[in-house]
Amino acid sequence: MTALLFAAMAVHLAACVLVTGAFFVLLVAGPPPISTMRRWEQSVLSAARWLVLVALGSGAIWMVVRTALFEGRSDAALEAQAIRHAMLDTWPGLVWTVRHGLLIVLAAFLLTGGNVSVRRNWIAARGEAFVLAALALVLLAASGHAAAISESRWPSAIDMVHLLGAGIWAGGLPPLALLLYIASRNVVAPAPYAVRAMQRFSRLALVTVLILAGSGIATASLLVGSVAGLVGTAHGHLLLAKLGVLMLALLLAAANRALLPALSGPNEGKASATAGRMALFIAIEAGLVLVLLGLAAAMTLTTPATHGDPIWPWPVRLSLDELLDVPVVKVLAQLRSELVLAGLGLAVLAIALLIRRWRMLLIGLAFVLIASGAAVGLPSLMVEAYPTSYARPPVTYNAGSIAEGMAVYQANCVSCHETPTLGREASSGRAVDLRSRLIARRTAGELFWLITHGQPERGMPKFGSRLGEAQRWHVINFLRVFGAASDPHRITTEVEPDRAWLAAPDFTISVGPLTPRTLRDYRGQRMVLLVLYDLPQSRTWMTELARHYGALSVLGVEVVAVSPHTSPNAIAELGASPPVLFPVLTDGNEDINATYRLFTPGATHAEFLIDRQGYIRAIWRSDQTGIPDAAAIQAQVERLNEEKAPPPLPDDHIH
Amino acid sequence: MPMWRVVLLLNLTLAVGLGFGYGVWGHRLAALDGELKTVQARLERLEREREACVTGARVGEQQWEGRGIVRAIYPQLLLITHEEIVGLLPARTTGFRAATSANHGRASVGDPIRFWLRGTGTGNVILVRMEPW
Repeated sequence: MTALLFAAMAVHLAACVLVTGAFFVLLVAGPPPISTMRRWEQSVLSAARWLVLVALGSGAIWMVVRTALFEGRSDAALEAQAIRHAMLDTWPGLVWTVRHGLLIVLAAFLLTGGNVSVRRNWIAARGEAFVLAALALVLLAASGHAAAISESRWPSAIDMVHLLGAGIWAGGLPPLALLLYIASRNVVAPAPYAVRAMQRFSRLALVTVLILAGSGIATASLLVGSVAGLVGTAHGHLLLAKLGVLMLALLLAAANRALLPALSGPNEGKASATAGRMALFIAIEAGLVLVLLGLAAAMTLTTPATHGDPIWPWPVRLSLDELLDVPVVKVLAQLRSELVLAGLGLAVLAIALLIRRWRMLLIGLAFVLIASGAAVGLPSLMVEAYPTSYARPPVTYNAGSIAEGMAVYQANCVSCHETPTLGREASSGRAVDLRSRLIARRTAGELFWLITHGQPERGMPKFGSRLGEAQRWHVINFLRVFGAASDPHRITTEVEPDRAWLAAPDFTISVGPLTPRTLRDYRGQRMVLLVLYDLPQSRTWMTELARHYGALSVLGVEVVAVSPHTSPNAIAELGASPPVLFPVLTDGNEDINATYRLFTPGATHAEFLIDRQGYIRAIWRSDQTGIPDAAAIQAQVERLNEEKAPPPLPDDHIH
Repeated sequence: MPMWRVVLLLNLTLAVGLGFGYGVWGHRLAALDGELKTVQARLERLEREREACVTGARVGEQQWEGRGIVRAIYPQLLLITHEEIVGLLPARTTGFRAATSANHGRASVGDPIRFWLRGTGTGNVILVRMEPW
């Protein structure tokens, strides 16, 4: 069924592109003045009529197969009710209906014909056909991936521009090849009509290809997003294949452009031969473009790379993390020789572009110098990578997962690595310090691979068969918090303006039987002061908070209090005077304490100030820093309110 | 008819047909949606007035049902963190005047309760009944 869908989509896309391009070339060439050129125009019109019918037929097959896939059963393809439902009750179906309505109008318009001997009528007829065909083509974007994965209209608009560019450039190649072939058969000289058409098309094609490149890059950044997505997913592989075919087509286009002066040159015999050669090149280009359209159709059947898990194909990856905490000067000194080589290469390249003599030799030398610099300098920036290096964790970064991960870690890992309380060294000398920057710089996917497959050379067993996939991801969530809690640059008692780096693990806020919320629900709206308390030691601080809750609330802070253990009586235990009006959790307390107390081990009472974006910005603990009074907390809150540029929202998953 | 006129007519037909259809359809949908919401709100209000009437309320008064947790108890006032009270208040913590019949003195801080409010609208409601949730 998928193969039939692909075939229908590819044929439909190609037909729509070719019809659009055919009328564009006719408009660019203008009304044909001589009989041979009029015959060419009639051939193009005849082909366009057939192509519209092919587009309608393949579109019908596409809708029928889509209906079967949408309903999840093959016989739905033959049910009128199911097809009607798919056409009228789904957005892609509505788009399909409008598009095919336009194609039917176009078919009727082409089949009825009309007198176009007057120039104005000719332009009106060809222009109308082009507009109808182009509309039917660009509306494909309204039900494409870009429209589906973004609420903004810009991705759809860019996709439409890309489709129009494809229609104009790719669709115009076959009629242009035919025109030049007919023109080349004139032994005297190619008709000026054909030469003018080729020149105009060439100029417009250059602009169109630049627009295609720009819109393609914009769409790829939305749907592919990264190098990992490009090389590690089916969608990315198809895009790479598409780019490869496009490069070949552009090489031929460049060769044609180089032949253009000879087409209108004084040597008429040579001009005819040139026209024939150009016709051949353009025909090959058109063939490559048809392959390209097939690849584009296949891409629509794959999941966009940004939504999939890339499988990294190489044993290493480039990592600039090593440069993060090394002074720039020191880096430059270390990369001295490589930078000199690369710099020399760029200088030679600049000279080569300015002078004409020995240009190719100088360009070659420039590339050798740049490549040498890269070959020497890049290996130091390479780190070991695995197929799951860029895998996206299926488990979100939340307290429940971290608590579960800590339990798994304590049961399986402490015999070789550290215990979760700070200060204890690894019991085995060979085990990696899991709090180190080395581990912090590993991606979540790389940690997942190492846990699953182990490191036999270091004596680490594989846990793939002992732990479930979810358990391994829970351990990785725990390791992220474990490392962050040990970071020497960690959060202090004072908010550092414009320095938000520690995402607060999400958790559920359950207060009795009320509808639970999550910490994430406050993002973009209110700050949160998370209070981990324990009675009776915390009584004074809780009373202070209850008294000043109104003032904090006005400043945009919600206080969330968590006792050590889950208790339905948590609110009553805090007393009635003063009344405690902020949320006091009655469920899930153990997981939240297990997670957040990693930052404050040993403290009876701890408070975390979490900003509106979801980052922890200040931590107070009763055993070391002391718990601030309401005025001191308000001062830190005001610092956050004065931040001009809020940081970007943290991802729900670790990386 | 000259071709350019045919094209012009065709484009006008498409533009008017598609534009008018979309505009009227879209506008009509929005209008219908608004009407539906208005009728639904009116129905809910009538339902609340009917329920209030059954329990002996005055003309024009409505009755709302809410669920929440008691946060503070005063002689004439009950502070409750409640879920959304449909047609009256969003989820928040609110102080409600309590009628004598409500027996709110029996509640304790931290108790989850269901409660009923009677009145004419925000700012003019009184808690008339409550029970454990």
